[in-house]
This record gives sequence, C-alpha cells and structure tokens, in this order.
Amino acid sequence: MSSLPSNLMAAMLLLPLIGAGIIAAAPRLLAKHIAVGSSLAVFAISIMLAWQFPEWTSGRFWPNNSASELALGVSFTLGIDSVSLLLILLTTFLTPLALLGSYTSVAHREREFYAWFLVLLSAMLLAFMARDVIAFYVGYEFTIVPMLFLIAIFGGDNRRYAAIKFFVFTFVASVITLSGLIYVAAARAQTGLPWSFGLAELQSFAQSNDFSDTQRYWVFVAMMIGFCVKVPFFPVHSWLPLAHDQAPTGGSVILAGTLLKLGTYGIYRVALPMAPGAAVEIAPLLITFCIIAIVAISLVCFAQKDVKRLVAYSSVSHMGVAMLGMLALNPVGVSGSVLYMINHGLSTGALFLCIGMMYERYHTKDMDKLGGLAKKMPIWAFFMVFFTMTSVGLPGLNGFVSEVMCLLGAFSARPSTALEWPGLIGPRWMLIAGVGSVIFGALYMLYMVGRVVWGPLKEPGHGHGHGHESSHGHAHAGGHDNHGLPPDLSAREVVTLAPIAALCLFLGVQPWYVLDAIGPSATTTIAAYPEAVKNYLRTQQEAEAAKGSLAGETTPEITVSPDATSATGGRISSLSDGSATSHLPISSATATP
Amino acid sequence: MDHALPDSRGRFWRRLALAMPIALALTASAVGLPFGQEGTEAAEHAANQLNAHAAHAGATAEQLAALTKVLPQQAPGLSWAGWILGLPAIAAVLCMVFGFLKLRNKLPAIVTVLALGGAFVTTFILYQNYESPVTVHLYDWIRLDWSPGSTTGNGTLAAGQSLIADIGLHIDGLTLFWMLFVTGLGTLIAIFASEYMESDVGGNYARFFGAVSIFLLAMGCLVMGGNLFLLYLGWEGVGVASYLLIGYYYGKPSAVAAAKKAFIMNRIGDLGLLVGIYLTWRNFGALDYDTIFRAIANGSTGGETAYLIPYFLMLGAFGKSAQIPLFTWLPDAMEGPTPVSALIHAATMVTAGVYLIARCFPLFLLDPNALPTVAWIGGTTAFLAATIGLMQYDMKRVFAYSTVSQLGFMFLGLGVGTSYGAAFHVFTHAFFKALLFLSSGAVMHGFAGQLDIRKISGLRHIPGFKVVAYTMLVGCLWLAAIPFSAGFFSKDEILLVALTDHTHGNALLGWLGLFTATLTAYYTFRVWFRVCAGPVSYVPGDEHHGHDDHAHAAADHHPHDDHAHAGGDDHHGHAHDGGHFHPHPPRLAVNGVLAVLAIGAIMAGIPGYMSLAGGSNWVKKMIGDSTAVAGVPDLSSASGHAGHAELLGMNAHTLLLVISFGISIVGIGGAAYFHLLNRKAADNLKQSLLASPLTGWLPRALENKWYVDELYDGLFRLPVRGLAWLLAKIDSYLLDSGVINGIGRVPAWVGRYFQPLYNGVLQGYAVVMAGGLGLILVWMMLYWIAHRGGAS
Repeated sequence: MSSLPSNLMAAMLLLPLIGAGIIAAAPRLLAKHIAVGSSLAVFAISIMLAWQFPEWTSGRFWPNNSASELALGVSFTLGIDSVSLLLILLTTFLTPLALLGSYTSVAHREREFYAWFLVLLSAMLLAFMARDVIAFYVGYEFTIVPMLFLIAIFGGDNRRYAAIKFFVFTFVASVITLSGLIYVAAARAQTGLPWSFGLAELQSFAQSNDFSDTQRYWVFVAMMIGFCVKVPFFPVHSWLPLAHDQAPTGGSVILAGTLLKLGTYGIYRVALPMAPGAAVEIAPLLITFCIIAIVAISLVCFAQKDVKRLVAYSSVSHMGVAMLGMLALNPVGVSGSVLYMINHGLSTGALFLCIGMMYERYHTKDMDKLGGLAKKMPIWAFFMVFFTMTSVGLPGLNGFVSEVMCLLGAFSARPSTALEWPGLIGPRWMLIAGVGSVIFGALYMLYMVGRVVWGPLKEPGHGHGHGHESSHGHAHAGGHDNHGLPPDLSAREVVTLAPIAALCLFLGVQPWYVLDAIGPSATTTIAAYPEAVKNYLRTQQEAEAAKGSLAGETTPEITVSPDATSATGGRISSLSDGSATSHLPISSATATP
Repeated sequence: MDHALPDSRGRFWRRLALAMPIALALTASAVGLPFGQEGTEAAEHAANQLNAHAAHAGATAEQLAALTKVLPQQAPGLSWAGWILGLPAIAAVLCMVFGFLKLRNKLPAIVTVLALGGAFVTTFILYQNYESPVTVHLYDWIRLDWSPGSTTGNGTLAAGQSLIADIGLHIDGLTLFWMLFVTGLGTLIAIFASEYMESDVGGNYARFFGAVSIFLLAMGCLVMGGNLFLLYLGWEGVGVASYLLIGYYYGKPSAVAAAKKAFIMNRIGDLGLLVGIYLTWRNFGALDYDTIFRAIANGSTGGETAYLIPYFLMLGAFGKSAQIPLFTWLPDAMEGPTPVSALIHAATMVTAGVYLIARCFPLFLLDPNALPTVAWIGGTTAFLAATIGLMQYDMKRVFAYSTVSQLGFMFLGLGVGTSYGAAFHVFTHAFFKALLFLSSGAVMHGFAGQLDIRKISGLRHIPGFKVVAYTMLVGCLWLAAIPFSAGFFSKDEILLVALTDHTHGNALLGWLGLFTATLTAYYTFRVWFRVCAGPVSYVPGDEHHGHDDHAHAAADHHPHDDHAHAGGDDHHGHAHDGGHFHPHPPRLAVNGVLAVLAIGAIMAGIPGYMSLAGGSNWVKKMIGDSTAVAGVPDLSSASGHAGHAELLGMNAHTLLLVISFGISIVGIGGAAYFHLLNRKAADNLKQSLLASPLTGWLPRALENKWYVDELYDGLFRLPVRGLAWLLAKIDSYLLDSGVINGIGRVPAWVGRYFQPLYNGVLQGYAVVMAGGLGLILVWMMLYWIAHRGGAS
C-alpha cells in the first residue's frame, strides 16, 4: 500500500515524458491533442493522489519513508505535504488549459512546442515532489531549459534576447543556490555523518550546533539569491517583464502560473526552515525590498503601454505581497502567502490567456492601439473583467482572502517580544504596502481595463498595421490574420477560461478548504521562528541599551528608564517595538459600577 | 458634464509644485501615525487616551450598558433568511447566462424583479418573525486556527490565535430596517428600469440587470453579514457593482473615467476600512460583531491601539458615502443610467457608511474625539456640497450634490450621537431621493437625454408629464424639508440634537446645518421651478447622456408603440435640428413606480408623527434593538439627549418647527423669485457678482465645485502619474540596462577568453555558464562517489 503514492508520483513524472516522446514520433497535427491528452491524464492522476492523500490537515509528509535510491546512489526521495500537493494540483490544472489556449497560436514547429511543454510539466512536478535537494534542484533547474526553448523559438520579435536573459538570470542564480545546498551537505559529511541530500536531514543539521551562525548566514544568502531571482524579487526582477513580453501565451501562463511559484516554494520549503536565525537577520532588508516592490512596481505597471508587460510587472508586485506575507513569519501571513501563490497562479495565468486571445485577433498588445474591445468581444470582456477583479482582490473571489491575510500577517507581525508570533513588519509598513497593493494595485488594473475593454472601440488598422509582426513567421502563414478565429471567443477558448473562473469563485467563497490544508504545514514550517525573532529583538534591544547607557554617561540628564530604552534611534527602532509591557489592562477604565 | 482637463505642461508643473509639499507633509504625518507602542511618545499618548477614556467613561458607560440588551442568540432555524442573499445571487448568474446567450427579450428584467421582490418578501417575513437579535450561521468561509489549544490569560487579547470569518447573518433591528428599504426600493427601481432600459434589450440589458443583482447581493452581505470581513465583502461588492453600472455606457470615455474614479476613491476608503478591521481583530481577537460587542459590553476597551479603530473605520465610511475628502466621485457617478443613480448613488449604497458607523457605534465610543470628528466632517460636507449644488445646471448633478449634502446631515447626526436620527434620515432620504432621481430620469428619457435645467421649462403643462412633475414636487418638498414632511422630521431630529449639544462645537454645526437647510430648499426648488413650472419650452438633448450610441442603431425598433411619431421622423440623433421633436412621456411602469415612491415618501413621515404625538416610533424601536442602541435617545440613557431640551429659552421642538417654516419660506421663496417669477434676475445677480473683483470668485468657485477635482489632480493624480513614469524609467534604464546588464557583462568578458562569440555576447556567456554548471556537477558527482566508496 505504501508504494501506491510513489507509483502515482512516478507516473505523474513519467507520463509527460512519454507523451513528449510520442509527440516526437507522431504526425505534426496530432501533437497538440497528444499533449493535452497526456497533461489531462497527469491532472487525473494528481486528483487521484489528492484523493488518496491522508495528511491534508496534519502538516506531515506522505509518504514518509526515506530513500528509494536510484543509480549512482542519489536518493530520489519523493514526498508531498499539503502545500506541495496544492501546488502540484495548480500545475497539473493549469498545464492542460495553457496547452488548450495555445491550439491556434502555435502554428509552426508544433511538435517541439508541445514536447517541451510536457517536459516542463514533468520538471515542475519533480521540484514540487522532491524531498531531496538534488532531486529538487534537478527539477528546479530543468524547468529553465524547456522555457528557454519556448521563448526562444516561439516568442516575439525580441525573443532571443529575452530567452537568454531569462536563462542567464535564473541559471546563474540557481547555481548559487545549489552551491549553498551542497555546502550544507558537505559540511554535514565533514562531521562524520553519512552523505545525504535529504531536505529534512540537511535542515536538522543546519540548525544543530555543528553549524556556525556565519555558515548559516551565508548558506541562507546563497539559497535566497536563487529563489529571489525566480520569485522574482524587486531588484532582480527585470528578466520577467521581458520574458513575459516575448513568451508565447502558453509559456507566459505557466511562467506566471507555476514557475514563479518555484521560487516562493523554495523559500517556504528549503530556505526558511534551514536557517531561522539568519533569515531573521536578513528579513529587514527583504521586507524593505518587498515594500519597494509592492509600491514602486505597482507604479511602474501604471506607466506601461503594453498590456502583457503591465500584467508581468503586476506579477512582480503581487509576488512582493506574497513575500511580505511569508516574511511576516506568523501563521496568518505564511498561510496567506501560500494561498497567494495559488491564487496568483490562477488569476495571472488566466489574464495571460485572455491577453493571448486578444493578441491572436489583433496582433498587438499596445494599449494605444486598442480600446473598447467589449463591443467586439463581450464574452472575452466578461472574462477579462472577471480576472481583473480577482487580481485586484475583490472579496468573494480568490484574490481577496490571500491578499487580506498577507497584509494582516504583516500588520500583526509587530516587533514585540511579548507577542506569541513576533515579526519585523508591523502596522506602519503594512499601511504603506496596503497603499501599494490595495490602491495602486486597483489603479493600474482598472486603468488597463478602462483602456482596453471599455471606451470607444479602437482596433489596429487592418492590412498595414501589423507589417512589423512578420518576423513571427507564422503570423500570416495561411494568409489569414486571425487563424480562422471568430470575432469573440470560440467554444474552445471559453472552455479554457471557464474552469479557472469557476475555481477562482470557489476559492473566494470557500477558501477554508485550502486554508485548513495550508495552516498546519505553515505553522510547522515557521515553528522555529518566534524564538528566532525574539532572540533577534533581544539582541537589538541589548545593543540599543548599551548605546543608551553609553550616551547616559556622557549626558547625565538623560535617565534611562526601562520603558524608554527600547525604541530610540536607528532604522531598527522604527521596526522594533520592544515595549514588553504592551497589553495594558485598561478595561478597568470603563468598568461600570 | 465632462470636466476632462487640458493637461498643458505648464499647469502640470505648477500643480506639481503646489502638490509636492502637501503630499510630503501628508506622507510624513501618515508615517508618524501613532500606531502605539513605538517609543515614549506613544506611551504618553496611550496614557492620555486612558485618562480620556476615564473622563469619557461616565457618559458612555451608561450608553454601552444598553448594549447588553441587544446581544444576539444563535438561531439555527433561520437559515432560510439566507435566501435574501441567495435570490439575487441566482438572478445574477441567470443574467450572466442570458448575456452569454445574447437573449433579445426582457427575461433578465423579469428574473431580477422576481428575485429582488422575493428578497423583499423574505425580508418582510423575517421582520414579521423577528423577536430579538439573532445570529445565523450559513457557511464556513475563512477559517484559520493555529491556537495550540490553550488560551492566554487575558481573554480579550488572545488575538492572533485564529482568523475566523464565516458567511453568517447578524439579524437585529438595524439589519432588518436597512434591508427592508434596500430590497423594497431595489425591487421598485428594477421595475422602473425594466421599462427605462428597454432600448438596450439584448446583451447589455442582461449586463445591466446582472450588475443590479450583484449589487443587491453585495448590499445584503454588507448589511446582514455577521462579521467585519463579510461587511468588507459587501463593501467591495457594491463598489464593483457601482463600477460596472457607472461604466455601463462604456462607449463614453467620461463614463469609463467616472467608473474608474469611483472605484479608486472607494478603494482609498476601503484601505482605511481594512486597517480598521485589522485593528479591531488585533484588539478584540475576533471579527464577528457578536464577540466584539460582547467584549465591549463586558467593559473591555480593547488594547492600546483600540482608539484608532474608529478613525480608520470612518475613512472607509467617508469613501463609500462620499464625504470630505472622498466625495468627488459621487457627482461623476451620474454618468450611469438613472435607475442606478437612484438606487446605488442616492438611496442605498452611499448610505453604507452610515450603516457602518451605526453598526459599529460602540467602537466609535472608544475614543472621545471620534464621533465629533464624524460630526464635523458631516456638517462641513453638507454645507460644502449644498453650496456647489446652488450653481449646477445639470439636474442630476444638483441632486447628486444634494445627496452628498444629505449624507453629510446623516453623518452629523451620527457624530452628535443620534444613530436614530441618522438612520431615520437615511430612510426618508432613500424614498424622496430615489423619487427625485427617477423623475429626473423620466424627464431625461422623455427629452432625449436633456438634463440642463435651463433648457426645459413648464414640464407640468406638457401632456403626459403630469405624474412626473407632481411626484417630483413631492420629492422637492421633502428634500427641502418643509414642516411635517418626512424629510423635516428626520432632519430636525438630527439638528435638534446638534443644537442642544454644547460639546465639541456641535451647536455651531447645528446652526450651520440650519443654514445649509436653507440653501437646500433654494437649490431644490431652483430645479423644480425651472423645469416643471413656468412657460412651456424645451430643447431636446443629444441622447448621449442617457444612451450609448448603439441606441441610435436600436432606434428603428425602439418600442414606443403608444406614441405616434410625426411623419415617421425619429427623434433619436437628429430630431433636435429638425425641430420636430416630440417628447415622449413615460408609460405605466415608470409612472407607477413614481407614484408608489411618492406614496412611500409620504408614508415615511409616519414615525415622525408618532414621535410628535409623544410616543416611541417604529424606527426608534428598530434602531434601539441593535448595536446602535447607544445612539437612540430615550433608550440609551435615562436623561436622553433631546427629550425636553431647551434652545434659546424655548422648547427646542417648537422653536425648530418655527425656524423650519422660516427656512422653507426663505429658500422656496428665493427660488420662486429667481427661477419662476423673474428668471432674468438670477442671471443679472450672477453677472453683477462676476463683475466685481471682490465677489467674482464666488460664483466661479461654486460653478467649478470649489476646484476640488483640480486640487486632487494636482495633489494625487499628477504626482502618481509622474512618479510612475519616473519609476518606469528608473526600472528599465538604470536598474535593468545599467546595473543588471552591467553585471551580466562581466562573465561575458571572462567568457571571451574561452569561447569565440558567434551570436552576440549573451549567447556566449550562457554557454560559459552551462559549462560551469556542468563542471560543478561533475565535480560534485565525483567527490560524492569517491566519498561514498570510502565510506562503504
């Protein structure tokens, strides 16, 4: 019985590869059907896996057996918990839809497109299933190659540059991550323990006394570099808008929908439990970047002219919110962050599908050339507005719950040692992030919808307006512009979008199903953090106190009372709170006689 | 109508220069917000608050004690009340399906009217069965629980252990009171719209009624929801329904801009509401009203940041209810179809802010300065909006500003502590303002979109418009609050409490309110005398106010079978230059709804008469049976605010009655002189005011709405745009091209040594990187295998 989960998971990993093999051998015209069929089969298996999964609300891994060794002694341990299973389900759910959405847009070298797509699916699933860092890394790294080809072969005018940039960014960064992971494994082997790349083993070693604080710090930095590029995090995000701009629709959907989640998943699964102390030390910097990402990148979105770039930048901003929730280091924030990954995958993936459908008809994504498409494509407009609303976090749809939880997590993550779950953010920074995500987030999305969907109808001129698009090679292949598409969405396109819309609505109305599953896992993941944050705060306070007493000697009129020592001066003080006597029982003030 | 500004470069920079210091100051003060516990200052502040609480306690403890009477019981048998939400939801889904099918009949309207009517009937049955406050659990919604099983010592501050917000109802007097008029008016206005919107039958018709259904669903969640997150759901839901409906004529750029403006301004308020909800959760450890108000009734005042809760909540209320500083979206929202203006932007949605404060009234007693702030904002808004209303020529805009102004009165009422007065005014206002909007909509419909009060005259003499003209008269009289009208009773309840309250300068606000009431009487009758009285003359509109250009296309089968078109000349589009325009009067659905609303408006005064007769009344009883009980005189405290109050040495009731007579005579008389008897005098007065440099600014400022839109443009819109542009440049040139690609070039230089570049620099270093990774992997494998061999 215990082999059943492993068999199911192995089937999910192998089936896409077999599908890719069949595509390579099959006739060109069958490629897309085979691809959709095998990805649907994988989806079915993932549903079976979810059905069998016994640990939905326990936070444990399943199966929990160690190593099933492959050749060369690499222990390819597979194991999932509720969070990885949710992300697996997201991946297997989005992939067939992304393929279905690409039916007409990919008109050359189809076999390559669909085969690479299936390889990508397999690689992503491996990364989500792995309990061994090598297996994780192989999956993580292998997603880059298919995506590189999807962009480089099937992308827009500037596809080569975009592909290479994507490749170099994520590749270089993930090599650094790998070196960090190997370092931990090597250090562990140095102590006389047998070699192991098991995630659990490495994490328990990294927290043991055999590993110094400095080592932890650098290992954490190394891991974060790779994951932050993938997320993508604020200063290293610039590959993403370009990659999205150039990627084909299906590629964009998967890129935004699940590939970016590998970054946050890596942080959640690998980095955070590895080195709590180091994470807390770097957290202020990361939080600063988060807030800059949320506010500044929202404004950058507002200045975009290209619809797809706008949504791509919005991903950067949205992932900033997810990261902020994660860095709140409390159950609300982290659970919200995980939920945010799923919701962002759904709504942004769907937005990219919508934009792709528009692009197929008009061959432009330029907001200056488009307008009022609701008149021409009312059904498309319905979906576009719907997914915009999920994206801006309208309550009742999925985006709201996760956004509100991330912000609430940030809000309650006050730097106070008296709290059960102290953090390093607090209400002020949450307010600034809220301005970015709640107000600016709505601003640019509505600005985009206001121009493209509403307003007087504006279509790019036919016959001459798209001459520059000819470098696609396939855009005019049959001498027809729209690939024989109807003016509004075809039944296939509605079938592509409707499941995502339904899921968005379901997750908005009944999020507790997912929250029940995420909660225990999140609490387990950050179990070590309250202590780490408290230690950090105490160290800060001692440093402040030392400084304060030093100042007290030179200027004797300043008396240092225990209350006043806590928060004075410096950048940290604005984050730290320190007054341990926080919860005054003032209820007596209004007690009635 | 369209106030799109020419954004010349010079003005941009001047505005920016004006705006930046203010923006910086605002940011600085925002960052300096005392969120508590941040150093000694905050500690001091907290201590001050504590003292303030102690001083305030005597007054509020008595009021809060009444709260214990209205705490709800769990009621398992009432889940059928969920149909009040379920029916509009079903209608919304059906309308969506109809829209997809592009149905060309009135089925969407029929479904919506039936659903809303069903919701009204359900509400009414619920009201009939109502005995005392109850909560009803429908579905689980957001549930996250991470408590380790034990609770911390001090019960109320166990925040951070769970986040639970279920889809459940909190049914008490306030809820039922609100839902009765929301669903009732919703049904009536849907009936009105079924005729009014008939030229759009097809996909757009379904879109309209779908959005109306979504609105009623969201409004139901807002009012009936049992926790703050569900209220927030409804809050944003009505916002999005409003967005969809303001932008209904999406072919018009001004409508799209107005929709966006409404949504964004509401979002600013929403952020405040959200922070207020977070603060409540942190201080009381829960989101549901039951737990929060139970804690307050038991004497808890939350944690040290609790005093900030009301301020953030009121920001949300001001956004939704169009008060200073977030009021400018409401007049622009008149771009929507008129039934929408009546339902959402006059009668129901905009009163959500009043509901929020009434519902959370105990939270507003947490800080002694919270309610006075509400009063001052409300009183000022009422006055400001009334002054703007004096000089507008667009009928709907006048009524929009009057809505803002009347909402200001409601907030004044809440602020001076009479949630009863505020709720009563919401109730009466809902009827007469819906009536005014619908009748102006009927005029607009009849005159091809004409809304300019200078271009229609003598409506009551035009055949077929008698009902419209006289129902409008009822609305105007009620808005002008002539004695013994419903509007009089509710407004005077508010002003009476304000005038007899000598704390926080509330009496001053009362006098300002009386002056505002005079202005109200004047501008209301300015419209009526111009449009409905006087000699018959009219210029038809260009049909662009009310109908999208597809109305022209639809004009051929425009169903006006009961109206003979002269010579087949259709009025749409070109009639006004041919001079053959025939206004077409409204038919049964419109006239019927207007008549029902007029009767409703008259009946809405009944609680006032009951009150006059010395007894309690229905509204008082309902509001008193809710968490807003602290603001109901005679129920919350033995002394009562206004029971036997004296004003200027006279019985306040009698005096106010006399003053109201005076106000009506002055306001209506002034309007009659300038706009009925001697219409030239108004122009002359304006010209003479403009001629003098001393007074010339006044009409100009009023006509330009005190330049608030321009100010906000300079203060927020342009800086945000400029900043966005700047950041985008920084992102793409400095960050990407500069730093990132600069770093990227380093390995490329290294790579040159190893690899002849054949296809661009980047290609080369990718290969180098791949090679590097391969080397690392090989090294790792070898080391690993060797070590493994050694170990075994």
